[in-house]
Amino acid sequence: MLKILVPTLMLLPTAWMAPKKWLWPTTLLHSLLIATASLSWLKNMSETGWTTTNSYLATDALSTPLLVLSCWLLPLMILASQNHMALEPENRQRLYICLLTSLQIFLIMAFGATEVMMFYVMFEATLIPTLILITRWGNQTERLRAGVYFLFYTLAGSLPLLVALSLLYVSTGTLSLLILQYSEPLQLSGLADEFWWLGCMLAFLVKMPLYGVHLWLPKAHVEAPIAGSMILAAVLLKLGGYGMMRMLTMLDPLTKEMSYPFIVLALWGVIMTGSICLRQTDLKSLIAYSSVSHMGLVVGGILIQTPWGFTGALILMIAHGLTSSALFCLANTNYERTHTRTMVLARGLQTVLPLMATWWFISSLANLALPPLPNLMGELMIITSLLNWSWWTIALTGAGTLITAGYSLYMFLVTQRGKLPAHLPAIEPTHSREHLLITLHLLPLLLLILKPELIWGWAA
Amino acid sequence: MSAWRRATARMARELVSISGGHAGPSRRRASFQRLSTSAALHKDFFRDLEEQVVAMRQKASDALPGSKWTPLEINPNLPPERADIVIVGGGVVGWSIAYWLKQKEMMREAMKIVVVERDSTYSRNSTVLSAGGIRQQFSLPENICLSLASANFMRNINDHLGVENEDPVDLQFNHSGYLFLANENVAHLMEENYRTQRSYGANVSLLSPAQLKDKFPWVNTEGVALASYGLENEGWFDPWTLLNAFKRKAMSMGVIQCYGEVTDFKHTMNVTTTVDGEQVYLKRIKSVKVHMPNSLEYQPVECAIVVNAAGAFSGKVAQMLGVGIGPKDTIAGIPLPVEPRKRYVYVVHCPDGPGLDTPFLIDHSGVYFRREGLGGNYIAGASPEEAEEPDTGNLEVDHQFFEDRVWPHLANRVPAFEKLKVTSAWAGFYDYNTFDQNGIIGLHPLINNMYFATGFSGHGLQQSPAVGRAVAELILDGNFKTLDLGNFGFRRIMEQEPMLERNIV
Repeated sequence: MLKILVPTLMLLPTAWMAPKKWLWPTTLLHSLLIATASLSWLKNMSETGWTTTNSYLATDALSTPLLVLSCWLLPLMILASQNHMALEPENRQRLYICLLTSLQIFLIMAFGATEVMMFYVMFEATLIPTLILITRWGNQTERLRAGVYFLFYTLAGSLPLLVALSLLYVSTGTLSLLILQYSEPLQLSGLADEFWWLGCMLAFLVKMPLYGVHLWLPKAHVEAPIAGSMILAAVLLKLGGYGMMRMLTMLDPLTKEMSYPFIVLALWGVIMTGSICLRQTDLKSLIAYSSVSHMGLVVGGILIQTPWGFTGALILMIAHGLTSSALFCLANTNYERTHTRTMVLARGLQTVLPLMATWWFISSLANLALPPLPNLMGELMIITSLLNWSWWTIALTGAGTLITAGYSLYMFLVTQRGKLPAHLPAIEPTHSREHLLITLHLLPLLLLILKPELIWGWAA
Repeated sequence: MSAWRRATARMARELVSISGGHAGPSRRRASFQRLSTSAALHKDFFRDLEEQVVAMRQKASDALPGSKWTPLEINPNLPPERADIVIVGGGVVGWSIAYWLKQKEMMREAMKIVVVERDSTYSRNSTVLSAGGIRQQFSLPENICLSLASANFMRNINDHLGVENEDPVDLQFNHSGYLFLANENVAHLMEENYRTQRSYGANVSLLSPAQLKDKFPWVNTEGVALASYGLENEGWFDPWTLLNAFKRKAMSMGVIQCYGEVTDFKHTMNVTTTVDGEQVYLKRIKSVKVHMPNSLEYQPVECAIVVNAAGAFSGKVAQMLGVGIGPKDTIAGIPLPVEPRKRYVYVVHCPDGPGLDTPFLIDHSGVYFRREGLGGNYIAGASPEEAEEPDTGNLEVDHQFFEDRVWPHLANRVPAFEKLKVTSAWAGFYDYNTFDQNGIIGLHPLINNMYFATGFSGHGLQQSPAVGRAVAELILDGNFKTLDLGNFGFRRIMEQEPMLERNIV
């Protein structure tokens, strides 16, 4: 664990002291090495145990895929930001890379935490660099409102979590995950315990986001710069899922009744946000709403609490992280050329940028969960476990799958096919950097077809 | 108890006084401007209510202590930091394009459109200083079709530009027709044009001098070989009403208006070589710098597309991007051939003048006049020769021009006009296309994302609805759909092949 964390910490002085000409290549190479080294965690995939290396940090089958994903994403973020940061003064570029790195450090410590309190502190700590990214480097005046929504939705949800964790500590004497998983189930019966359940879950539901409390997500994703959108979509949403999976082991037997409304809300959200996607005119907004839609399924899978549900949720989280991040990168390549996120003004791009159209095609297919990609595996496992619980869910999840296919294809057809507008033929050709970026997103996704056991979590 | 009664009585009296006083609060916004000449047919309860609420808030804020200072002092006139389409020029062409873009977008609020206009009082704007005529008597088929489509638009204007809960649009379209008079030299041209016009659906008729005298007895037919009279869809209307109708409808659909001057563009450049081996720099506009009026403040508006509808000053706007600044025999050296030309309009009063069915008469000498209102007033003017073009530095009127150039021909053609009095006059700019006096619509070969809709040389107002639709189709559909205006593109200017009209006023 430390062999990943300490190099990431050292990336901070690297960002400040590298010569200006070598700033971006150096940080890129450094973070790529860290990402490659993080793949070594995947080796120790004993089914249930922790591969502890520390008294504070450890990894297990649930956190390893998420840790690898977040380590993998840092070089991709640096690669994506290179173009639009090139015009900024040198110190701001260094500050930007430091923000991304500090976000990475917090994420590694969050996913690797053994004490739930440390997870909570890191969960909150990730808010700060993200907020700075959105409000300082976002493109429009709406970014201030986006930052406010993002900050206060998450804070309002997580303050009850702090109280709930303190209560848990007082009643059980420990907050270490290693011990809590073996503790006696708590006697949870009264109304106060139901509020405690809600306090534990609310922060993560807001973060996921659950459909009713999802308003911060379209704003934050759209207004953030590309690196902000990538990390938000790929990893920060999964912090919520991960937290829920950890906490649920202690929250029986209340979950059987209390999760009911949230599962329904999540599934309803899949359809509603999917339908909103069909009416979107802003490309980034479409991808943001599609994230809400996919995460709704993940919430359903987690709250169902079956092994298949958990596995499906984890697979979908990883696959969606890579896909959504790839889509945001593609949208950003569009934006850097045409300076508009409106879909109707940037159409028919297959004519000018055919290879980029290939990446659009693969990413859109991944988004609509085409077999044999892991997206489908995750969705199918969740849908099956939900069906096992109640037959009625198939109506919602089936309709949701249909609508997802609808808007993913709509997004692809509008941006790539059709007549090229007259003001677009002389567009800048694609840089190799952009091709590399998308390839690094899609390659892990395609490789995971061959060995999905890596991201199955405990069900391996 | 009695104090409470006295207070409520005072409040009741104040309410009555607010609702009674129809002078209205001083801060009325343009959207409340009445567009018809008569009063509204019925009182709108909700509009009156809103006025009362505004008045009460004003009263309350004046009465209560405290200042209007806010920590975030933002100029409300500033354009947004980024927009999808920036339309430079808030005349009738610019607002028509804005309206049609919003009309054609598939989903609500798909695009953010900003219209930037330099002159907030519209005192020097060519649209409102125009004589307001519309005719289909052109020689180019495209011009005929444009005017015909625009006339149809204006006849059904409330279907297009009507806004809920607001007064209907009343353009005061006088369908009196145009009357062109030709001498022997150009009579054959008039006949050919007549055939073209009829084939494209314009309702025009040719009159011999005898028929002319029969129809309009006040005309002196000396020297007239042939006359061409428009029977339908021709006449004049109020340009200010049309501009405001477009503006009101476009703003109700979400177009943002900004009063400011475009001073600069930020662009990226790409070098490429043409087939002839010439090196050209292709520019792509990234942002438009809009300067606030009477202030040092400016806002760069990041945008995807810029539409140049700046009318008489489009040449200056194009020059900011280097169009025309380049070696003489290169593409970059060809400037946008649009420059302002001053034209005078004189309002004359003649009590014994022609009657109510007077058409817009244009003599073969270039002098024109039309009826204005019902009180015996007429509007007259003439196009000066190339050599005697007035100075375009200001909008001062030269009354000597009327004496020397307009009145003699006018009195010759209409004897009643020998006794007239010039009551007022004004001057306005034509966005004169020095190349061939026809509009320029389309993309410039050197600037990737600037659409031009300018250079109409006096016909911009009458063609504005159809031109707006054409530009919107070009932007959103990639090609012209209803009317093919490909001939109005930049190709003719680059290849120096003028597309001249054969009767120009």
